[in-house]
Amino acid sequence: MYVSAKSIGLGICPCCKKINNMWSDKEQCERCGATFSIRKPYTLQYTLAWTLAALIMFIPANMLPMMVVYTMGNDTRSTIMEGVTIFMQSGMYPVAFVIFIASFVIPVGKILCLLILVTQARSAKPKNLKLMTKLYSIVEVLGPWSMLDVFVVAIMAAVVNLGFISSVEAAGGITFFGLTVIFTMFASASFDVRLLWDKTDNNFE
Amino acid sequence: MSSVSPYQDLIACLHCDNLCKYQHLSPGQKAICPNCGSVLLYRKVNSIERTLAIALAGLLFFIPAITMPLVGISVAGQYSDASLLACISILIDDGFPVSATLLFMFTLIVPFIKLSAAGYLSISLKYNKVTPNLLMFFRSYKVLDNWAMLHVFFLGVVVSLYKLLSLAQVSIGIGLVSFALLLLCTTLISVTMDEHFIWQTMEDKLVR
Repeated sequence: MYVSAKSIGLGICPCCKKINNMWSDKEQCERCGATFSIRKPYTLQYTLAWTLAALIMFIPANMLPMMVVYTMGNDTRSTIMEGVTIFMQSGMYPVAFVIFIASFVIPVGKILCLLILVTQARSAKPKNLKLMTKLYSIVEVLGPWSMLDVFVVAIMAAVVNLGFISSVEAAGGITFFGLTVIFTMFASASFDVRLLWDKTDNNFE
Repeated sequence: MSSVSPYQDLIACLHCDNLCKYQHLSPGQKAICPNCGSVLLYRKVNSIERTLAIALAGLLFFIPAITMPLVGISVAGQYSDASLLACISILIDDGFPVSATLLFMFTLIVPFIKLSAAGYLSISLKYNKVTPNLLMFFRSYKVLDNWAMLHVFFLGVVVSLYKLLSLAQVSIGIGLVSFALLLLCTTLISVTMDEHFIWQTMEDKLVR
């Protein structure tokens, strides 16, 4: 049987997981002192706002070059997808695959998942609750991995510093890409999966 | 604050808000939510001693990991290498303060705070000196949980090594070895640290 803590006036502290009596909307945890609400406040608004911000940042992140490579006086600029195709052409499939997953599949997947979660939480009868809960856990865990490309550019720019022969400089794309990742992380942190379960009216499954 | 609440024997699932009866677990046992299948609690073996040892080891590796060169390359007799700090300063020089801040926060500040908070917590718990400020330390540890990105940076180094191999002769520095060990320590800490047990101990010593 499923009894939610909220239905009998109890709230769980998100920091130390202690059960607290919710006398009002906002309480201070009696064990660890963190202030928390029974459900994250304005969760759908915040999640949607951060997700849309991430989506907007994702456009310049893919249009602008991530880095500039100077070799013997020539400069080559490459965006994320161009970087992936360069790897494909030179036959380094594992690296191309890793970069493609980390800097395209994960951010796009995260944004899509968050949008699905928000629409499900807004609908009157959310479906596939267990799947949605799983989806949310995956989105939370995968978040940081998209920072990969920013870190790669930073390392390349610092290491390849041989003056005229060869040098690498970071370019505008990394700022927007970094912001995309941060915004999706804020979005997933402000989403509350328990909203989906609240709609079940404490029915038997 | 001091009254013992009647909910002592209840615990709610963080993912579906299902209320379950709290079962006392002996070291090595796990409790799973009957509604959605997430792990509710997991009592770990020898958690405090292991966490202390790993936190101290991690802090030892910290300085070489950020100041020693990670990777070096040589082309036509010219050599250049870079440490983690150099990566950050080059981003500032190139005019990307936002990315430099992100790199600084996620690979330096957050891991450092996490390691030192874990070390301080386990020392205090081991020698029974529980004070209210420990709560703040553990709270900050929890808040920063998802924001340490050492593992991502390490994968970044590996990917750049691949990229550099096609350009030049590549050498691996002491910094990379210490960085790998530092990463190992921060990962092991989240494996050995038993959060529920620590909260429970602090509550028993402070509230009552």
